[in-house]
Amino acid sequence: MLPKADSNDPTMPDHEQLLLAVARNRDSTAFRALFDHFAPRIKAYMRRLGADGSAAEELVQDVMMAVWLRADRFDPTLASASTWIYTIARNRRIDRVRQERRPELQPDDLAPDGGEEPPPDHQFEAAETASRLRAVIGNLPPEQADVLRLAYYEDKVHTEISAERGIPLGTVKTRLRLALGRLRRAFGEGA
Amino acid sequence: MTVPAHHPAPELLLDYAAGSLRAVQSLLVAAHLAYCPECRAQVAELEACGGVLLADLPPEPVSDSLFGTLMTRLDATVATPTPVPAPAGKSLFPGPLRRAIGAEPEALEWVRVVPGVHLSAWGVSAGTASACLLRMAPGSRVPAHRHTDSEMLLVMKGGFSDEFGAYRVGDVASYDTGTPHHAVADADGECLCLLVQDQPLVFTGPLGWLLNRGFRF
Ligand SMILES: [Zn+2]
Repeated sequence: MLPKADSNDPTMPDHEQLLLAVARNRDSTAFRALFDHFAPRIKAYMRRLGADGSAAEELVQDVMMAVWLRADRFDPTLASASTWIYTIARNRRIDRVRQERRPELQPDDLAPDGGEEPPPDHQFEAAETASRLRAVIGNLPPEQADVLRLAYYEDKVHTEISAERGIPLGTVKTRLRLALGRLRRAFGEGA
Repeated sequence: MTVPAHHPAPELLLDYAAGSLRAVQSLLVAAHLAYCPECRAQVAELEACGGVLLADLPPEPVSDSLFGTLMTRLDATVATPTPVPAPAGKSLFPGPLRRAIGAEPEALEWVRVVPGVHLSAWGVSAGTASACLLRMAPGSRVPAHRHTDSEMLLVMKGGFSDEFGAYRVGDVASYDTGTPHHAVADADGECLCLLVQDQPLVFTGPLGWLLNRGFRF
């Protein structure tokens, strides 16, 4: 039986499998299902970050094009489908809105001195981790959840959060570090 | 290769994973990740957090025509196979920096600050932040300077020490606004760092006016 992406719909293959079907077979039905799920969320993400409706839909198209064209690079042992799509959406927005190229680590960048193979990176059961993570985020004290959401949704670095909210920088850092500590434990439980 | 002992602040990794960190600081973080499995794992976790936040956003309906428009665009796009990256060759620079600079240290122009201490003519800046390279001859000292804002150094070759610690390849030294520090390069070899400032440095002391010119690029 296939794992579920959507617990209310037992016939639905999960998003990871849909992405793999796009990668392997250029499966347009799978792509349509991914589009139906993610396009409205990507649009919401772009709108939160200040894009107007039509700019947000332009970005949705960009992101979903990249999903189609780069599906072969998706590795379900490294990231869930929504994490992978999140990173594409984040980077596209930076490229388009800020007109910057985001400095990124690429797979062949490890060990720049040509030294021995690096140890395998963090791998986790992405879908399970996501549900633990969701629970942790849902249970964060409001002030910690608030600084976390500002970082992801308002394009604010922590120093800007401090300045604009009138919260001392030390307090912002403390809240973020507490939130990060809780998130880290969500991963630790799976290891 | 040993793993780094000094990392960027956790908030900086969050800002990087969330996409709010600006280009200059992102360059230092991305370059550090090339050396640091621990921070790579943390960034992967924070990206997973971004994935959960994305999945949980209340969806905003898209135009009915959007899927059709997208498919038309896709049909017109020739699917190019993922290019196999050319073998990078041996570089002193971590990948993100190598791509930003496009040359090896020997090919760069350097501006002498004091004997033994050079800054690269290469630099990038955006907003109030700027980055360039700092090269120190064995045992040399960076002159005392005060900060009008924060400063970070990523060691890429050799090492240096100051009153806060000893830094080796892959380590990030961070200094808050107004923290004086006195870096001394290790005696056993040249030290090369990526220097990121969030405001131009203001050197103090008699040579200050001269040194400050060196920091303009
Ligand atoms: Zn690190």
